[in-house]
Amino acid sequence: MLAYLIRRLWQMIPTLIGVVLLVFFLFKYFGGDPAEILGGLNASPDQIQAIRDQLGLNLPVWEQLWIFFRQIVTFEWGKSWATNESVANLFMTRLPATLTVMVPILLLDVLLAIPFAMAVAAVRGSLTDRSLMVVTTVALSISFLVYVIVGQYLFAFQFGWFPVQGWSDSTLTNLLVYTPLPVLLAVMVGLAPQMRLYRTFFLDEIGQDYVRTARAKGLTERTILLKHVLRNALIPILTNVAVALPGIFVGSFLIETFFSIPGLGREVLLAVNRSDYPVIQAVTIYIAVITMCVNLVTDVLYKLADPRVVLK
Amino acid sequence: MSAVLAAGSGAPAASGGVWGAAWTRFRSDRVGLVSLAIVAAFLVLIVASASGLVARGWQQEVGVPNAPPHFVGPAPPTESNAIAQPTGPNVDISDVDPLAPRYKEWAERAAQLKTVETIKSETLPFGGDRLGRDVLAKAVKGAEISIMVGVLAALVATLIGTVLGALGGFFGGKVGDLLEWVYNVFTSIPGILLIFTFAAVLNRADAIIPRGVWSIVIILGLTGWTGIYRLVRAEFMKHAVREYVRAAEAIGASTFSRMFRHILPNVSHVALVQLSIHVVGFIKAEVILSYLGLGVAVDQVSWGTMLAEAQSELILGHWWQLAAATLFMAVFVTAFSLFTDALRDALDPKLRGLE
Amino acid sequence: MLLTIRDLRVAFRLGKVAGITQRVQAVGRGEGAAPGGVSFDLPENSTLALVGESGSGKSVTAMSILNLLPDNAERQGAITFQGRDMLAANLHDLQRLRGKDIACVFQDPLTSLNPVFSIGEQICEPLIKHLALSRRAALERAEALLVEVGLPEPKRRLASYPHELSGGQQQRVMIAIAISCEPKLLIADEPTTALDVTIQRQILELLGALKQKHRMSMLFISHDLGVVGEIADHVVVMREGTVREQGPVAQIFGAPQDLYTKALLACRPTLEQRSARLMVIDDHIDGAYAGTQAATAAVIKDASAPVVIEATRLSKSFWLRSGVFGRREFKAVRDASFTLRRGHTLGIVGESGSGKTTLGLTLLRLHEASGGPQQGRAMFEGRDLLALNKHEMLAVRKRLQVVFQNPYASLNPRFTVAQTLLEPMLIHAIGSSTAEREARALSLLAKVGLPESALNKYPHEFSGGQRQRIAIARCLTLNPEVLVLDEAVSALDVSVQAQVLNLLKDLQDELGLSYIFISHDLAVVRFMADEVLVMKDGAVVEQASVAQILDAPREEYTRKLLGAIPRGYRAAA
Repeated sequence: MLAYLIRRLWQMIPTLIGVVLLVFFLFKYFGGDPAEILGGLNASPDQIQAIRDQLGLNLPVWEQLWIFFRQIVTFEWGKSWATNESVANLFMTRLPATLTVMVPILLLDVLLAIPFAMAVAAVRGSLTDRSLMVVTTVALSISFLVYVIVGQYLFAFQFGWFPVQGWSDSTLTNLLVYTPLPVLLAVMVGLAPQMRLYRTFFLDEIGQDYVRTARAKGLTERTILLKHVLRNALIPILTNVAVALPGIFVGSFLIETFFSIPGLGREVLLAVNRSDYPVIQAVTIYIAVITMCVNLVTDVLYKLADPRVVLK
Repeated sequence: MSAVLAAGSGAPAASGGVWGAAWTRFRSDRVGLVSLAIVAAFLVLIVASASGLVARGWQQEVGVPNAPPHFVGPAPPTESNAIAQPTGPNVDISDVDPLAPRYKEWAERAAQLKTVETIKSETLPFGGDRLGRDVLAKAVKGAEISIMVGVLAALVATLIGTVLGALGGFFGGKVGDLLEWVYNVFTSIPGILLIFTFAAVLNRADAIIPRGVWSIVIILGLTGWTGIYRLVRAEFMKHAVREYVRAAEAIGASTFSRMFRHILPNVSHVALVQLSIHVVGFIKAEVILSYLGLGVAVDQVSWGTMLAEAQSELILGHWWQLAAATLFMAVFVTAFSLFTDALRDALDPKLRGLE
Repeated sequence: MLLTIRDLRVAFRLGKVAGITQRVQAVGRGEGAAPGGVSFDLPENSTLALVGESGSGKSVTAMSILNLLPDNAERQGAITFQGRDMLAANLHDLQRLRGKDIACVFQDPLTSLNPVFSIGEQICEPLIKHLALSRRAALERAEALLVEVGLPEPKRRLASYPHELSGGQQQRVMIAIAISCEPKLLIADEPTTALDVTIQRQILELLGALKQKHRMSMLFISHDLGVVGEIADHVVVMREGTVREQGPVAQIFGAPQDLYTKALLACRPTLEQRSARLMVIDDHIDGAYAGTQAATAAVIKDASAPVVIEATRLSKSFWLRSGVFGRREFKAVRDASFTLRRGHTLGIVGESGSGKTTLGLTLLRLHEASGGPQQGRAMFEGRDLLALNKHEMLAVRKRLQVVFQNPYASLNPRFTVAQTLLEPMLIHAIGSSTAEREARALSLLAKVGLPESALNKYPHEFSGGQRQRIAIARCLTLNPEVLVLDEAVSALDVSVQAQVLNLLKDLQDELGLSYIFISHDLAVVRFMADEVLVMKDGAVVEQASVAQILDAPREEYTRKLLGAIPRGYRAAA
C-alpha cells in the first residue's frame, strides 16, 4: 500500500507541472497584457511600463515561470486586481459557503437517485419504465437556467415559500433558510440524469451470471436486488460520485449568482468578467491539486468497494 | 469431398454490412424516425436562417416594446402620467429667439428629406422583447447560432478525442503515457472552471480570435474532448489485441492501415454516438455561456441571451421570450436525445452478433 | 422416478414485427406428437447426461426445470419432480425448491460467483435461507463443505474472494454451494468445459464421489462424448431442440440406433489410432461411409524431407510491474528447440499457461508490441527470423501464416469476404489487376469449400466453421509454406471440427504445406501431427514422434496428461 501511495504521489508531480504550464502559457500568450488591464483605460504608456516592471513582465520567460512556481508553492498569490483582497483570504472565506450548498446537493442527488433507479430497473421494460425515460428526456432538454429562473420566480417571488436571495453568517441559518430553494432546484435538475445513469448500472448488473446463481440458490428477487445487485452496482456509482466530487469545490456559479451566495463559483465568475487574473489562476491551480488528492483518496477507497481491485 | 459444404447451407441473412443493418433496425423504430424528422426540420430551418431566407431582420424593432403574442392580444394602453398639454397657440418669442430667422430655411430643407415611418405593431406572433424585436425571429436565429455551435464544437471535440484516443490506445508505451499526461492535466481542472479559464482568456484575445461562434466552438471543443478520448482509447486498446488485427499484422498490413482501415470502422459507431451526446451537452453549455455574457458577441442572439433578457422581463409579467426560447430548445434537444437513443439501439453490436 | 419430463417445448418471444409476436423455438419442434417435445425420465441415485452440440437445446431444457430462463421464455408440456408439477409452481414454491432439493452448477465459475462477496458468505446464503442456521453454524458447515470438496486451506478460504482462486478451485466452491443443503437432484451445466484437462479429471471424480456419498441424482449436460461415456448411466442425445435417441449408456455407445448418434460417435478423433480422414456427420448420415470407420493406415511422412524451420533455444519474457518502480521478468517460453520438416506437422501440446501460444506468436514476430526480451534463433530459409528488420520481415510474412483460435474474432467484422481476401494480395502486390485478384479469391474459396456467393457477404453471416475456412483461405492467398494453427479448431463443434481438420489435411497433401499445430486436445493432435512437443510452464517437457508420445510416453507429466483425458464408455471388464 505504501509503495502504491508513494508511486501515486510521485505521478502527481508531472500532472501538476502540466497544469501550471497550461495556465501560465494560456494567460501569457492569449490573455492580453496584464499591465494594460491593471492600468485601466486611461493609463499613459509610462504608467503601463512602470506596472510592467513591477509585475516583472520584462524578465525572460523562464524567469517569470520560475517566479510563478515559487508563488504557487509558497501560497504567495498576491492580491486580486479588482478588490485588492489577498487571494488566499478570498479562498478561505468563500469555500465554506460553496460547500454548505454543494454537499447537500451531492448527498441528496446520490441518495435519491439510487432507490429511484433501482425501482425503475426492477420494472424494466414496462410502461412505467418507458414513460419515465421519456419524461426524463424532456426534463433534461430544458436548460438549468430556465428551472432556476422559473423556480425562483414561482417559489420565492410569487408564493413566498423561500427567500429570493440571501446569506447569513451562521451556518445553521444558512442550511435552514437560505439553502433549501437552491438545493431543491439543483437536485430536481440533477436527479434525472443521475437516475438514468444509475438505471443502466443496475440493468448491467441484473444481466450478470451471478444473478442466475443467486436465483438458483432460491433467494427471493427482493434479496437479489437489494443485496447482490446493489452491492455490485455501488462500484460504478462510486466511480461516478468520485468524478463529481472535485466539482463541488468549485461550486455552481449559476446557483451562487442567482441566489447571491458568496461562494467560490461566484468569485470565479466575477473574476472572469473583470479579467482578474490572479484569482482565476490561483483557483484553477488549487482546485487541480484538490482534484488530484480527492482522486487518490477515492482510488484507495475503491479497494474497499471492489475486492478485485489490485492497487499497483 | 467431405470437407465441402453444400451450397447455401450457410446462415441466411441480409447482405450489406453494419450501416445497412443499422438502417433497417432504425427504420422500425417509430420514435427514432419521428425525432429524426424533427431534427431534420430544424436543420432545414437553420440553413434557411443562415442563408438569410428567414429571420434576417431579427434586429429590427418591429413591434412596440414588450409586445404580447398574437393569441394574448395587445397590451392595454398605459395611463399616461404626462403633464396635460395646455391649449392655445404657442407664445411668440421670435424677437428674443436667436434661431428664429433660420426656422423657415430648416423647414424647407426638412421637407426635402424622406423619413420612413414604421408602424410598430401591437402584437407579434410570439411577442416582442423589451426593444420590440420579434421573439419568433430571435428564436429562429438563436436556434441557428446555438445549434451550429453545438454541432461544430462536437465535431471538433470528437475529432481531437478520436485521433488522440486512437494513438494512445493503439500504441501504449511512451506515446500512451504522454497522452495520458495531457488527459490528466485537462481533467484535473473541473470542466466549468476550464471553460471559464479559456473564456476569460479569449475574452481579451479579440485580435486573434474574434468573439462569436468560432470562439465558443474552440473553447468547448478544446475542453470537451476528454470523455471521447477515454472511450475511444479503451476501444482501441480492446481491438488492438483482437485476433483480426493480429491477423492483419501477420499478412503484413502497415500500422496506419491497421489503425484506420481495420480498427476505426469497428469503433466509429462509438464515436458517432458520443458525437450526438456531446452536441446536446455543448448546446446547453453554449446557452449558459451566452447567458453569462461569455458566449456570443453582443450583436448576435442565442437562446442564452434570450434567457438573460427573459429573467428581468418575467418580473414584469412578460413571459413570452422565456417560453419561446425554452420551447424551441426543449423540442430540439428532446428530439435529438431521442434520436441519439434510437441510433445507439440501432448500432448496438450485441444484438447483431458482431462482437 | 425422481424427475419426469414429458413433451417439453420452450420458445423465446422476440418482440413484435407488424403486430405479430415473433418466437424462436429452442426446444421441441413442430406441433402435435412427433417429432415433438423433449421427454425423458431420471430415476433416483443415477446420472443422466444430455448430450448435443451447440444449439441443441440441452441447456434450455435443463434450465426450464427450475425456470431459470430469461423473462421472454414460454414453456409447455409437463415437468414433474417428486410428484410435483413444476410448470404450475408459483415463484414462491420454486424458490423453496431451488438450492434445497434441486441445485445447479454452471459452466463459468468466475462469472457465476458474485465477485464482491467472500466465499464463506456465498456458501452460507442457502444454508441460512433453507436450513435456518445461525450465522456461526452456517460458517462451520461451510468450512466442512470446503473440506468435502477438497479445497486446500478451507478455513482461510472462507474469507477469500472468487478472483483469488483458480478456475478449478472456483468450481469446487460452486459445487460446495450446490450440495450445501443436500439436494436430491444436481443439475450440472457443462461444469468442466472451461477447465484444463487435468483439472477436469479432478472435478469429475469429485462429482462422482459426492453423488455416491449423498445418493444424489445428477443431470449432466455436455457436448463431450468422452466425458459422458465415463460418468453417465443414461444418455439423451439432442440435436436442434429434439431428442434423437436415449437409453442406457452401454446401449448408446455400443449399439446406437439413430444415424445422428452414430455419426456423433464416429467423427471424434480417437486417441487409439490415427486415421487418414475423420468422419463427417452429414456424410455419415447419408451413408457415404458404409460399414466401419475408415481406419486406413496413415500416410507415413518422409522422414528426410528438407528442414523448413529450425528453432534453437527460443525464449520469450514479459515485463511485470513489481515494487515501487521496478519490474520483473516473467518467462513465458524457456529454451524451446525444435525442427519442422516440409510437409510435416509439428504438434505443440500443453494446458493453459504452458506457453504454447506464445511460442507460436513469437515465431511469427507478433508479440513485439507487448515488450519483453526474446532470445534464441529460428532459422528459416537460411535467415534468423528473430533478427530480421521490419522490411525483411514483410517479405517473409508471405511464407509464414497463422490461423487463430476464435473464429468470431479473427475476421474484421466490417470487411466483406472479398476485402479480407484481397487485402493480403494488395499488400504484397500479387496479381496485376482487380479482376485477377478476384479470380484468385474465388478459386481459393472453392478450394476451402465455400460457394462463390460468399465473396460479398460479411463475417456475421457465416458460422464458426465457415469463418475458419475463410481465415484459411486468407492465409492461402499468399502461397505460404508454413502455417501456424493456434488452437484453430478448439472453438468448433465436433462435427465442424472434423470438416476443418479434413480440409487442413487435404491442403497439406495438395500444396506441401508444413504445419505448426498448437492444441490442448491430444486426440486431435494424434490425428494431425507427425512430431509432438509437450510443454508445461514455458518449458518443453518431452519431444518425440506422435506414436511414441501417445503410446509410450517417457515423462511423468505426459503420462498424467494422457491419463486425464476422458476415454468415453468402456464396457465393464
